[in-house]
Order: sequence, then C-alpha cells, then structure tokens
Amino acid sequence: MNCRECTEHLYEYLDRELTPALEREIREHLADCPPCGEHFDFEKLFLDFLRARCQAQGAPPELKRRILRQLFDE
Amino acid sequence: MTGSQPPPPPPPPPAATEAEKRQSFEREALVHLDSLYRVALRLTNNPSEADDLVQETMLKAYRAWHQFQPGTNAKGWLLTILRHAFINEYRRRTRHPETVDLDTIEPYSVFEELQDEDPQGTFFDRIVDDQVLRAIDELPEQFRETVVLSDVEGLSYEEIARMLDVPVGTVKSRLFRARRLLQRRLYDYAVGMGYIKGSTA
Repeated sequence: MNCRECTEHLYEYLDRELTPALEREIREHLADCPPCGEHFDFEKLFLDFLRARCQAQGAPPELKRRILRQLFDE
Repeated sequence: MTGSQPPPPPPPPPAATEAEKRQSFEREALVHLDSLYRVALRLTNNPSEADDLVQETMLKAYRAWHQFQPGTNAKGWLLTILRHAFINEYRRRTRHPETVDLDTIEPYSVFEELQDEDPQGTFFDRIVDDQVLRAIDELPEQFRETVVLSDVEGLSYEEIARMLDVPVGTVKSRLFRARRLLQRRLYDYAVGMGYIKGSTA
C-alpha cells in the first residue's frame, strides 16, 4: 500500500468502517510511514475535537417537562 | 380415525397496557432526547423551532410506538421520524435547499499547511464551542446533516445511508468533503484570530 491509497481510506479507518484485512494493511503502513502517521493523528484529533465540542449540548430541561406533560398528562 | 385435534392457536399476546407503553417509551425513546435536540438544533438553526421539532417527533414516535421493534436501534428510528418532520414541515419555512454544486468543493486537508507550525493541532483548543457550532451551521445542508449524524451522534455509515436514503458511497463522500470544509473554516478562523500564523503562500 502506498501513501495515496492509505490516505484515501483515512476517514473510513478512523470511523472503524473498513474490513479487518484493509484495516490491518493501513495499520501496517502507518507504522512504517511517519508522515502518514502524523496526518492520521491530526485528523483523529480533529474528529475527537468535533465530537467533544458538539456533544456538550443537551436538550433544555423545560423541553423535557413539556414533552412529558404532552405525552402523559393529557 | 379422527386423529388428534391440532393444538389450539396460542392466544395473542396481551396488548401492552398504557403503563407498560409509557415505561418502555421512557426507557428506550426518551433517553435519546439530547441527541434529538442536538440534531434538531443543527437542522433548524433555531432553538425555539428545534424545541417544537423535537416535541412533534416525540409525539409522533409515541403514537407509532407499537411499530417500533424492541431491540432495534431506537435512536435511528427516532432520528428518521425527526428528519421527515423537518423536511415536511420546517425546511420550507426555515431554510432553502442549497444551490451549491457540492462536487466543486475541494476536499483538501489543512494538515499540510500546519505541518511546520502546529502539527499537533493545538490551535483547536483555543476555538470556542460557539464557533464550532457556527461552522457546522454554515455547511451546505446535505453535508451538515451527514456530519451531525456521524460526528455528533456516532451513527455508522450504513445507518446514515438508510436514514438519508442514499448509497453508502454518498455518505462517505459527503462526510469526507464536509469534514474538510469544516476543518478549513476553523483553520481560517484561527488564522483570522491570530491563534496561528497560517500559510504565507
């Protein structure tokens, strides 16, 4: 596997969407290729950052009360 | 010879009582309220419409609760209801479908430009939550919903494809372009704020 092929599967790899065989090929390439390794680390950091920043937000408590009232108290 | 009579058919399972229905709905559906709200907020970009959309989704879901197969993915089921409600009733009022040609968006990574200055991406830490959410809200709608379902709610490509009724390949390509676009906007913002110098090219 070369760098271009490896990078084509970047997000599928980070999202754990690859077949075990392809995942292993990528892992082996990353272990042997520091530039690709750094690139993948950077993208993983970016995805973790997105998740952390967006999941902090939850439904307002008043909305939950409104829904419970509507569903069960009518 | 009369033979033996066939056994009588088993009695139909008793209909769930209202109390049981409520209990299972609270246990399997209401626990996803935060997820529904986050997706609704990103789709409508308006807290009061997000409230209404989630409320309507929960009402529809409760009425259709007998159709939900226990043990299957309740979150996916609820998000599908939410998305249909959004398309049918909210999108026309709140946003217009984009006219952007999504294929012309160049999906390049900012990693190359940061290699010398900040290869660890520490500048991300300085970007405030609101700015991240704003960058997501500014994505074209097809990209926005794919990113939210994947990166915020953690659905698999297959689940997203089913929900959006598109091939898995389309999910992959949207996700790829959406993430790169988002990354680019946050990078431009960080350069604008002076968190990083950015490429001088």
